Order: sequence, then structure tokens, then C-alpha cells
Amino acid sequence: MEAGVKRINETDPNANGLGGNQGQRQRNRIRVAAYVGRFCQLTFQTDGGEMKRSKLLVAFFAFALILAACSDDGGGDTTVAGGGEGGGTLQAVLDRGELNCGVNETLPGFGEVAEDGSYSGFDIEFCRVVAAGVLGDANAVKYVPLTAEQRFTALQAGEIDVLIRNTTWTATRDGQEGVNFLYTTFYDGQGMMVPASTGFTTLEDLDGANICVLSGTTTELNLTAVFNARGIAFNPVVFEDNNQLRPAYEEEQCEGWTSDASQLGSWKFTIESEGGADQTIMSEIFSKEPLGPAVADGDTEWAQVVNWSVMATVQAWEFGLNSGNIGSYSGTDPNILNFIGTDNFDPKLGLPSDFAVQIVEQVGNYPEIYNQFAELAPLDGSVNDLWSNGGLMYVPPYR
Amino acid sequence: MTETQTRELARPPFWRDIRVLRIVGQVLAVLVVFLVGRWLFSNLIDNLNRVNISTSFDFLSGPTNFQIPFCGECWVIPFQSRFNPRSPVWEMTVVGIKNTFLAGFFGVILASVVGVIVGISRLSENWLVARLATLYVEIFRNIPPLVIIIFFGFAVFTFGPFPILAESWELKVPGTDDNFLMINNDRWGIPGVSQVGEALVFFIVLLVVLIVAILIWRWRTRVFEQIGEPHHRVLWFIGVVVVGLVVAYLVSGAPFAMSWPELTENRRNISGGFQMNWGFMALTVALGLYTASHIGEIIRGSILAVDHGQSEAANALALNAFQRYRFVVLPQSMRIAVPPTINQYLNLVKNTSLGTAVSYAEITALTKTSIGNGRPAVQSIIIMMAVYLSFSLIISLILNIINRRIQLVAR
Repeated sequence: MEAGVKRINETDPNANGLGGNQGQRQRNRIRVAAYVGRFCQLTFQTDGGEMKRSKLLVAFFAFALILAACSDDGGGDTTVAGGGEGGGTLQAVLDRGELNCGVNETLPGFGEVAEDGSYSGFDIEFCRVVAAGVLGDANAVKYVPLTAEQRFTALQAGEIDVLIRNTTWTATRDGQEGVNFLYTTFYDGQGMMVPASTGFTTLEDLDGANICVLSGTTTELNLTAVFNARGIAFNPVVFEDNNQLRPAYEEEQCEGWTSDASQLGSWKFTIESEGGADQTIMSEIFSKEPLGPAVADGDTEWAQVVNWSVMATVQAWEFGLNSGNIGSYSGTDPNILNFIGTDNFDPKLGLPSDFAVQIVEQVGNYPEIYNQFAELAPLDGSVNDLWSNGGLMYVPPYR
Repeated sequence: MTETQTRELARPPFWRDIRVLRIVGQVLAVLVVFLVGRWLFSNLIDNLNRVNISTSFDFLSGPTNFQIPFCGECWVIPFQSRFNPRSPVWEMTVVGIKNTFLAGFFGVILASVVGVIVGISRLSENWLVARLATLYVEIFRNIPPLVIIIFFGFAVFTFGPFPILAESWELKVPGTDDNFLMINNDRWGIPGVSQVGEALVFFIVLLVVLIVAILIWRWRTRVFEQIGEPHHRVLWFIGVVVVGLVVAYLVSGAPFAMSWPELTENRRNISGGFQMNWGFMALTVALGLYTASHIGEIIRGSILAVDHGQSEAANALALNAFQRYRFVVLPQSMRIAVPPTINQYLNLVKNTSLGTAVSYAEITALTKTSIGNGRPAVQSIIIMMAVYLSFSLIISLILNIINRRIQLVAR
């Protein structure tokens, strides 16, 4: 009933002003036109409409000409490259006086945040190594916590200068992601952890099981590849970081947790030391995971600066230098004298001549860094031992 | 009067002529937008080229290489192709779209049903009902959706009272051994339908049935308009479709069978039926209840916006409470409620992107995983944005059509 009444009102010809005074409307229209901000108030339907339309056409024609003119110039000159062509990353870091280092904040042993907000871990120490080498101050680091998925974008976009976040060196990442991998600081491999109570010892025991894994990692791809190759059915349960993954694993939403063996070791340590169930890490290692720092492609100078800073920790180890004795070296080995920058020996890497001393004094040599973290497997005799002890740590000579 | 008019209409010089300035202003504005856009775009392309990152979409046909969670052999195209880790990336995108759609669809249904109930309850004369509805609204409206999702994902479905998969609770259909519902902390199973034969004939017959049903709908509408006989067109429509389904099923040689969920032999999986994983349930329930609190407020507001005289008139006609709502108040309040409700539906569908927090494989989670595994970020995100844009535009389109139909029509 009400609807009917409204309908009549709405269609009342007198209501919408058709019968209004012509002069009044003209003035109103001009007043409206005065609102310059209203770009789209072009009205055609009044007197002189033909003329207005033709002017509009002329305007659009002129506009099209302008567009055509400015589309021809190739576009290269309007571009500003993000990375900075002239000084490069090294100059940018020196100017800033601080290193932006992309890290993991949720992995005990490699990178985690303490209650007071300070960072600690194996990867964190290597951020400090680079800062000590480049800036002479191991504490001039701004840590940027990143998820596995964010890390390459952050590097490409120049948000971070170097990525040291347990990142596996792979061909795809080296090529397609525009990432430049440097000296491998930690040789790792993928393992599988299961609650000790299950008694599982091989991957085949997990046929059809839910497997917890972090998304966007090489372990996720490798899990799929290995299980499919062996014909083992599984269902991945993916999480963005370990703090979400751990409760799901402990609540038996998944029967296995796969990750780099070193990470599993540190989680086994953490879970058991916090009173959780006993865990077993299967003896089988089913991938190669070389972890190391990475920088963005296209800046060789910066890449070699980072690379030699990191390698200095291994070189010092080989020379028998540590944070205690490097400052007081009094021998005559010319290699060592070059290494600690006697007589300003400078191979033109872009590093100060005393960079190695700064690194080893402020942070330490490789085993000093490694042994700080009880979560990591023992260094002696492992794959991460020095080449002369049968390990893989081998750096080019510094001369 | 005439003099004033003449002065006003005389053309000023063109740099002060509002009509010229307006056109110039528009041209300049478009030009600026165009140039800024072009500058940003060429910047992007140059920088991507500088670090040797591909700018093509070829990666869509390359293999996905990872297993989608809860998608061991899930359908990419129903009854046509199944996903496996060697499937191309575009099939992964399809699975992501499907999962986003499922969460959005069931979320919208849950939000609408709960929202209407809560909205009406808020106005109830029953003190307890009204206060409970108010409590509900205030709780859910004032907690961020991500927190609610994580609450349902971890506190309810993971750490809640449910057993692990191997010890699922099974509710059986009385007198049989078929599971009607399976509950655990990983994936719930409900009965589903599986294909056991060639289904082409079935779908052809079904199409014919649908056309017939629409024609009958039109016929009933015409009868109603011409002679005023009650049309009962919904009943007719449903009746025809149900009969048609049965006929199609029999004619095509029973290509479908009921599929009951049951534990596999190793007690690590559920086979058969329709399975809802915990991420899906957490996301759908959380978003449904969250959005319901907003929809409830919209419903309450739109009911209050209907003039009180309408209710009084309905009372004067001796309509009972149900009839008063159904025939007088709700039809008018719906007109007010629909536009803001569209926004809530759009929000709900966009919020499904939070499913990544509970391991639900919707389009955002899959795109992020795919980027993390070496697919180009810019192109992947463009595709993801296009998907959400399409979802939102389609919802807007559908609901705007509904909106236009229920608004007052001026004839």
C-alpha cells in the first residue's frame, strides 16, 4: 500500500522541476559549473549543445596527440633504478653506517630473539661478521626478520643488503630469483623428526601420514620430490613459521616434522629441554642443503666484500688465529701478516686492510662462532669441520 | 533581468572560461595519472630486468613441484582432472580459487543465517535472548578476524576436545556401518557423492530439466499475474528439479553413488565422502561468525528503519508476529539491508586470505608458497589480485541485480 503511494509521488512531473523557471535553471547551472573540482559535470542537453560537443572532440583530439607524442620517447629516461648505480650497495652501507641484514627470528641456534629484544644465533653472528668487516663495528647491524617467503623479495627490493637466513643455495634461486649466493657457512641436509614413542625409523613408516613443513622452503619441494619418487603417500601441513608449526606437531596433527637436520636438532633440543615428549631424528638425510649468505644479483663489488668477510672467519681458523691472539700476532708468516693487514696490504676488495682483525676480535673465528650454540651438532669431525680435518670448510688463499 | 543574463552568458577570455578550464583540467589530470603510472611501470620492468628476473607468464605452464595441503588427489576440474605435484602452476591456481570459493561460499551462508537470527534476536522482547545476542555481537565485532581464525584453528580444532585422526569419533547411520560424520582434530568426514559411470547423459538431461523448470516458473508467474491464483512457483520449481534429478539419474544408468567416509587401513587418512580439513573449518566458522556480528547489526538497523506505523498497520490487520515480519517488515527492511550486506560479503571473501594462518590452501597461501619456491612474485601477485577482483566484482554484480529487483520500481 505504501509502495503504491510512493510510486505516484516519484513519477509526479511537478516534483522534479521540469516545470521550473528557465532563467532560474540557467543561473543554477552556472553556479554548479563554478565548482572547478567537479571534472565530469559536462552537460550537453541545453542550448548550444552542438557547439560544446565539437569543442570536446577537439579537446580529446589534442589529448590524444599529447599522449601519442609522449609515448614515442622510449621511456628509458624516466626511470630511476632502485639499487643505485653509482655508489653501489657498499657505498650505501658505508653512508648509512649500518648493515641491513635479513635474518630468521624463529630458529633456535640460527636466529632467535631473546626476551630483551636482542638477536642471537649462528646466522646472526655472520651479520655481525659482515658489519665488523665493512664498517669496523660488529654492532652496526639492523636485523630485519623475514619469513621464508618474504626473503627474496626483500633482497630484490633492496630492503636488506645481505640475506643470512639459513637459505639453501639452489640453481633456481641463483638464477631466477636474482640472488647471488656466497660462501657456504653451514652444510646441512634434510631430515625427518618423529616422536620417539612412534618407533618409526624410515620414511616408509610414514606412508599416508601428515607431515609438518614450512611453506616456501626447499624442504617443502624436496619432501614432495623424495616421497613421490619412493611412492610414499603423504599430506603436507604447511606453516609460515616454526612457532605455528610446533604446537601442531606436538598436538599430533602431523606425525613427522621435516626440515634441515640442524634445525630439527635444535628443535629436538628445545622441545626436550622444555619438558616435551622425546623426539627421534631419523638417521636418513635425504637432501643437500648448503646454507650461506646471499646478496642481490648485479653488484659484484658488494658480493666480494661480503664473501671475503665471511671467509675471513674460516681463514683465521686455519691460521690458528682467534679473538684472543689475532691482535697480538708477532710471527713472521707472510700470509698471516697480509691477512691481518700489516703494512696496509690491500687486495682492493673494497675492505679496510684490518678487516680480518676487526672480524675476529669482535666476533670470533668460525669455531668460536659455531660453538656458542649448543643446539648445533658438535663441530669436530662433522661435515662443517676444516678441510684439513676432513670437513668441507675450505677458503681460497688470502694473498 | 535580461541584462544580468546577457552579462552572465558573455564568453570571458579562454584562460578564464570555466568551460575551457574544465576540459583542460581533465586532460591534465588524465595525463598526470597516465605519466605517473607509466613511470612506475617502466621502473618496475627496468628493475626486474636489471636483476635478471623474468617478466613473462610462462611459468604458469611449468610444474608446481609441491604438494598442496589436503589435496593428495583433489579435483582441479570436477570429475575431469586431479592435482598432483607435477601439475602445471595454473592448475594450482585453480585449486586455490576453488578453495577460496568454498570458504567464501560456506562462510557467506553461515554469516547470513547467523546474522539474521542475531539481528532479529537483538530486537526480541525476550530479555535473555536480546542480551545474549548483544553479547555475541559485542564479542565478535570487537576482535580482529585473524585472532578469531587463530582461536578456532588452534584453540578449538587443534587443542580442542577432538581426538587425533586415528581415533576419530564416528557417528553411524542407524542400522548400518556407514559413517554419517567423522570427527577428529585433523579432517572431518561427511557423506559425499562419487562418480562411478559415464555422466554426460546425466548432465544433458539435467540441463533439459532446468530449462523446463524455468519455463514452469514463468508459467506460474503468468498465471498469478493474470488470474491471481497463488503461484507457488518455488514449490513447483523444486518439485520439477527433484523429479528431474531422479529421472536423469535413472535414464543415465546411475552414474553416481553415495560415498561414505571411513578410516583407511593404516588409520592415517579418511577415504571417501567429503572431507573438511581443520584449516577450512576454522576459517569458515571464524569468518562466518565474525561477519555475522556485522550482518546482525545491519539487519537490526534496517528493521528499526522501517516506520513503526507499518507494524501498527500490520497489527491492525490482525497479522500475527510471523506474518508481520514476513510480509510487512522484512520486505521493506531488506531494501535497506542489501547494500551494506554486499560490503560484508565482499569483506568476508577478501578475509579468506587470512586462511594462510591455519594452513588452509586458498589462493593467497598457495601463491605465497609458489613465490617462495621460485615463481616470479610480480606476476603471481597480479594473478592473485585479478582473482580477488573477479570474486568481488561477481558478488557485487549478483547482489546489485538482487538489489535492483527488490527496490521500489517506479512505473
